Amino acid sequence: MTATENPESPAPEAEPGVPFTLNGSELTAKAGELLIDAAQRHGVHIPHFCYHPRMTPVGMCRMCLVEVDTGRGPALQPSCMLSVTPNMKVNTESEPTTRAQDGVLELLLINHPLDCPVCDKGGECPLQDNAYAFGPGESRFVEEKRHYEKPIPISDLVLLDRERCILCDRCTRFASEVAGDPLIHFIDRGAQTQVNTFPEHEFSSYFSGNTVQICPVGALTAQPYRFAARPWDLAEVESTSMVDSTGARVAVQSSQDRLVRIQGVDSDATNWGWLSDKERFAYEATDSTERLTQPLMRNDAGELVSTRWNGAIKRAVAALTDAADPRRIGVLGGARLTLESQYAWAKLLKGLGAVDNIDAQLGDGLPADIVLGLPRATIAEACEPGGVVVLLGADPKEELPTLYLRLRHAVQFDGVALIEMSPRATSFGDSVAARLNPLPGAVGHLAAALAEGMVGTSIGGIAPAQLSTAHRLLGSGRPVTVIVGRGNLAESPEIVVSALAALRRANPDVRFLSALRRGNVHGALEMGLTPGFLPGGQGLDVELPGWEMAPQSRGLDATGILKSAVNGTLDTLVLLGADPLEDFADGTLAAAAFERLGTVISVDTFMTASTSAADVILPAAMFGEADGTFMNLEGRLSPVRAKVTAPGQGRPDWMIATDMAAAAGGDLGFTTLHDVRAEIAARVPGFADIDWASDLGAEDGPLVRPLRTWTVSLSETAPIPPADDYGLRLVVDRKLWDNGTMVTESGSLRPLIGDAVLGLSPADFSRLGLSSGDDVDVTIAGGETHTVAAVSDNRLPVGAAHIPFALNSVRAQSFLSAGEPVIELRVRPS
Amino acid sequence: MGYFEGFAVTLKKWGEGVTTKEYRGGRTDRKGHISDKDQKSPKPERLHGRHVLNRYEDGMEKCIGCELCAGVCPARCIYVRGKDNPADEPKSPGERYGFVYEINYLRCIHCDLCVEACPTEAITETKLFEFSFTNRSDAIYTKDELLVGDDGRPQNLPWEDWREGDDRDTSGWMRATSPSGRASYLGTPSWSGELGYGVRSGDLAQTAKDASSTERSSHDDDDDEHGGHH
Repeated sequence: MTATENPESPAPEAEPGVPFTLNGSELTAKAGELLIDAAQRHGVHIPHFCYHPRMTPVGMCRMCLVEVDTGRGPALQPSCMLSVTPNMKVNTESEPTTRAQDGVLELLLINHPLDCPVCDKGGECPLQDNAYAFGPGESRFVEEKRHYEKPIPISDLVLLDRERCILCDRCTRFASEVAGDPLIHFIDRGAQTQVNTFPEHEFSSYFSGNTVQICPVGALTAQPYRFAARPWDLAEVESTSMVDSTGARVAVQSSQDRLVRIQGVDSDATNWGWLSDKERFAYEATDSTERLTQPLMRNDAGELVSTRWNGAIKRAVAALTDAADPRRIGVLGGARLTLESQYAWAKLLKGLGAVDNIDAQLGDGLPADIVLGLPRATIAEACEPGGVVVLLGADPKEELPTLYLRLRHAVQFDGVALIEMSPRATSFGDSVAARLNPLPGAVGHLAAALAEGMVGTSIGGIAPAQLSTAHRLLGSGRPVTVIVGRGNLAESPEIVVSALAALRRANPDVRFLSALRRGNVHGALEMGLTPGFLPGGQGLDVELPGWEMAPQSRGLDATGILKSAVNGTLDTLVLLGADPLEDFADGTLAAAAFERLGTVISVDTFMTASTSAADVILPAAMFGEADGTFMNLEGRLSPVRAKVTAPGQGRPDWMIATDMAAAAGGDLGFTTLHDVRAEIAARVPGFADIDWASDLGAEDGPLVRPLRTWTVSLSETAPIPPADDYGLRLVVDRKLWDNGTMVTESGSLRPLIGDAVLGLSPADFSRLGLSSGDDVDVTIAGGETHTVAAVSDNRLPVGAAHIPFALNSVRAQSFLSAGEPVIELRVRPS
Repeated sequence: MGYFEGFAVTLKKWGEGVTTKEYRGGRTDRKGHISDKDQKSPKPERLHGRHVLNRYEDGMEKCIGCELCAGVCPARCIYVRGKDNPADEPKSPGERYGFVYEINYLRCIHCDLCVEACPTEAITETKLFEFSFTNRSDAIYTKDELLVGDDGRPQNLPWEDWREGDDRDTSGWMRATSPSGRASYLGTPSWSGELGYGVRSGDLAQTAKDASSTERSSHDDDDDEHGGHH
């Protein structure tokens, strides 16, 4: 696969060209362009193994040697280490060049085993291809080859076969340079050199799958794809990962109507060819035995029995019409859906049903006005060399790993200064310019102090040096991007909003990049699956043709919906791929709501905890099974394409919506995906100029820039709870491997979910006299007591306690209560 | 060849009689004749019949599930899936074995490309072509049916017409060709040991005489310029 081989390096266009001669043709290179890139751009492929356009060239493999004459006579030089200079004469086909290629390949094949028939790379292997195209054909080496133990697992997902390794340094360079997890390295010397992990440390990187994709031989193979198919029986479509909201471009590959592999595709705007292991391997969930394959309905005895689509749809529609008052209906979820499905469901519920209690975010997001209304930055603008990035959210490595790689590159190589205002130190480590980790609840004050320049004294334990650095950077005139998400589920969003307001006051030109993590949540907000908005961020007072029944007053958000269910003012709940029992921040509230709810209708792909409590279950097609469009956190559209058929009777979500409308005697006005797109273009500002056929196929995808001229007025006053005798404030955030369905339903990923432990700052930890792993009793202010193992966590400020959401052994959901500004707790040794 | 020479061939063959053999239950039998003609004509040594999957002398399967046969098959009649060898009870030497192996004989054209593609001599062809299945599932031979028995002999399936000696020469022959396609290459093909039946020596690509006549004199010069790397 050449999925990541993007020969176009981002060199400035306006620079004057550099004239040079390539195989007798007079050509022009860009200033500073590497010879190997310039040749590729002009249609001359120079064989190589170690060179990768997204990593620093090292000249390890010597395969790209070509004959270069810079005026001192022709000589062989590695074209990946050589920038084109004026009037350079290059010959890639000369006799010395081909002799060098023959020699390099014969040398590499001395120790490379010829087990191509059992190798997963066989058929798509650069070494194989180059040996056929440029190799000598026969070897003079008749001695025994080097032998190592055949594949050794270097992590739960990656296997290493050292016999096959040609020491190109791609994986090791990726691990240290791109991912920042330098856990594999060359060991030993000379002919015994091998790639390996350090003893007792496995290659546990969130990005380990990329090394498999960029390995030019079969030395690194992926456990989930091991022997699953051969390259020639794969069928492939280009799509967009819906695992998180970065919108990484992927190639989805199937064999025999089963998804077998996902590879990263180099998109300049988003992922640069890299993927996190979740984006790469969570496709396994499509094949899970827990998939819903037919409509289910609860019978009079209370059992779920399979039924036909007709009956299930009728029952669901009856439940919604019986509710009489649309305010008694609540809808949760929608981030799993494609943009077209989101529009169809929004039109069904709002346009035909007058329901406005709709929330695609499950208490872990930000108000839609903020996300839709603030001036947006793209990833490229945020990573612009010389810029300043304020990180006001969780660790992007855990929540948006591919965005993390882009930001890490910007910080490491492009001089971007990072001001970290997250509640817990992030994976950027010491490369941040200013580390400000405020206690939960204090981030608004911190931002206000920065805005006013009150940085002379320590604020909440943050050193004045850090504060003045941050203040200086914000006022330095460098472009500032604020990456905003919910870094702490135990802190109310108003506190984050107050910090945003202060940052905007400090620098009115500041741009914002949303870091909401859920799949297509930005599409959901744009399409109106949020209270108070019609598609495109239009207010409820806008009259849209076909949306005659649109609600008149603003409805409830997720917390409001569940609270109304508890107090009985709402009795019908529709779940669009949401699992509030496991996924809503306040687990106690969600459980209480499900006790009281009358009818629950679930449109889902898996039998989750909430779905199994539903009365009508409609099976939907998931990622890889339905066509559609994805909107990433920049507002960029990219295609999602079907590759395999949904199991059983599963159908795309928008079709279910049209059937529901028909059963209710209405008409959504579309019968094909094309119709839905045409209607979105007609009704939603910002989509009018989108050419769905050609724009979506483009390498980067079109940006939907909000046409709104309004920006939100941000309130700087947030409730500041005084510290009480409980003493510690809770930080709850997410890990990449959590009990979300995409991870739990992927056989290879499920074992990676860890146990939740309570982290305390080293000072608090020693004050309590604990040693690592000790059980402690955690008492929530006004709540119950839990027993948890505690560890010392040097990423936390003094006075904070951290527990990750949705891991094993401890349910962080039961620590949280929706609506509280912060959660206070007391910790005692058990 | 001229016009009349063509007719001459036809006329010459006219008198030679029928070469097809009658089998029991065939046309003559239906006419009431005693079928002493129940015999097959001798088959050429390289005839392409139905396949077998061979095993090594220790009983291990030769197939490694690499799917090269399926990849090369012009009729798309082979379906193979590989799998990790179970560590406690390996099916084949090495990491991988073929856990699904199916050939659809409604599609197979017996071109033998699968045999040539096979890197482990796992798939070879018997001389057997008399197999009159009456339904599709019989026509799709599974791995259990293709695999040779413990004595190394192909399995005689109920709908196949086996005669004495039909399973001789089951193990195939292999041309020894140059990896770089050089016509002058003379290799020494040989078979790895397998469960004791029908093993024979491989064929050379061509005799030394053929080789010298096909070799272009310029070829060697080219090679020498490149450093004589063979």
